[in-house]
Amino acid sequence: MSSLPAAPRRVPLLRPRDCVVGGVSVGLARHLGWEVGTVRWLFVGTSLLGGAGVLLYAWLWATVPVEDPVTDAGTATPPVRHRIPLRWVGVVACLVAALVLLLSWERTGGVVAGLVFTLMVLLAAIGVFGPWAIRLWHELMAERTKRVREEERAEMAAHLHDSVLQTLALIQNRAGASSEVARIARAQERELREWLYAGVGTADSDLATDLKDYAAALELDYPVRFDVVAVGQSTERSSGELAASSREAMLNAARHAGGDVSVYIEGSAAAVDIFIRDRGPGFDPAQVPEHRLGVRESIIGRMRRAGGSATVGCGAGGTGTEVHLHFDVGRRDES
Amino acid sequence: MTEAITVVVVDDHSIFRSGLRADLEDYVHVIGEAGDVDGAVAAVTRHQPQVVLLDVHLPGGQGGGGAEVIRRAAPTAPGSRFLALSVSDSAEDVVGVIRAGARGYITKGSSGAEVSRAVATVAGGDAVFSPRLAGFVLDAFGAAAGEQAQTDEELDRLSAREREVMRLIARGYSYKEVAAELYISIKTVETHVSAVLRKLQLSSRHELTAWALERRLL
Repeated sequence: MSSLPAAPRRVPLLRPRDCVVGGVSVGLARHLGWEVGTVRWLFVGTSLLGGAGVLLYAWLWATVPVEDPVTDAGTATPPVRHRIPLRWVGVVACLVAALVLLLSWERTGGVVAGLVFTLMVLLAAIGVFGPWAIRLWHELMAERTKRVREEERAEMAAHLHDSVLQTLALIQNRAGASSEVARIARAQERELREWLYAGVGTADSDLATDLKDYAAALELDYPVRFDVVAVGQSTERSSGELAASSREAMLNAARHAGGDVSVYIEGSAAAVDIFIRDRGPGFDPAQVPEHRLGVRESIIGRMRRAGGSATVGCGAGGTGTEVHLHFDVGRRDES
Repeated sequence: MTEAITVVVVDDHSIFRSGLRADLEDYVHVIGEAGDVDGAVAAVTRHQPQVVLLDVHLPGGQGGGGAEVIRRAAPTAPGSRFLALSVSDSAEDVVGVIRAGARGYITKGSSGAEVSRAVATVAGGDAVFSPRLAGFVLDAFGAAAGEQAQTDEELDRLSAREREVMRLIARGYSYKEVAAELYISIKTVETHVSAVLRKLQLSSRHELTAWALERRLL
């Protein structure tokens, strides 16, 4: 840009970010190449001449820009730092002025003095509470903006996911319950549904949640559709024997029956009941050969050892199998 | 089924509407479709169908979705019954449409045959309960915690029999299987289910009203 012969380069007139009062003296001294002390004394000296120095200082303070921060791009701009807290100087000055007015009230009392007194007190109050009020206001606005934005996002997400859920449901219906496509669609649907409708912060060790997760995992591996309904307050942990037996029964249903399987979990203060019902070919415990330990050991035996009970029988209307697990919550405390 | 049941399908996804239409059994006759709240109210008023298959989440109107359709269309089509059909199975959505007057609630994962059966049940004046809805009812009325109604008139709790029926439905039993299990007739099961539906609609139980209030449905 500059094709002129190299003139002695002048520092541009800018106020430093780190300053005593307004940064005017330092800025001016750098620009003119003078000593900072000289400039300061000049301002003080001319201030005595009818306040000209003060006026000049104020004018320069208002018109001279603050220098750009020397930070890397991306970091927040540091605020201008005053070594003398101007705000508190102002507040003290106002209060002193008000006090002086009050003490000399008998001599100066009048409408004008009253007005000035009120103004001083008012300015002091603004000086004290102003920044706090502004910050409060900013926070309030920021919070409101955030809330509105969140609401908007949630609404959009709900609508979007509604459409996706629809499509997944349609794919499952069209593809037939046992096909690979339907299974994948169902797994996806469950995942999305979990994310959309599940309450935030559900305990991950809760029995119902655990069985739902297990059902989702089984649906991936077997042509089966689980409908898990949980009722009541279940205090049962997912690590217990009851959960292990339930999982075994669900695995059996998925492996041998497939199709629609209903899982119903009912928890009360006294007991937990779990029903796993399939609509498969059915099954008679008496006819299972001795070496097949699945049901006898993993479900019935395990429940008995844990102090509960398990019943394996025909489903309603003679179709399929229903496993009923019962566990008294109180009993465990005694043992 | 001797006579076809007339149905209006309301859903904002045209793919789903046509898919459902193709899947429904022969005895279900779709006479109209709509994709938003205002369109649905107009279609139901014009066609006067026996059953309205209604999506819970719908655009348009005052933003009330399926529940708004029921409240606006019910007075103009007194013969129509509403069956909610939704992908959502959150408690608020279910309670919302049921309290607005829907006769049942099934999820969109249901097959064409299942939806057709539900339509027939609703057309016959009975209520349709999915296992999930039954489970929700047991929870909301405190039945799982052992609360029980002392008289039939009580709206805020389930009677012992109603609780039994709801438990079996939650376990995946059909009405027929429930009837066989409890040694009662299917008609009696249907009566119990309708009674529960009525309680769900009229009860002032805190859990129910709180949900409904939150959704500005009351």
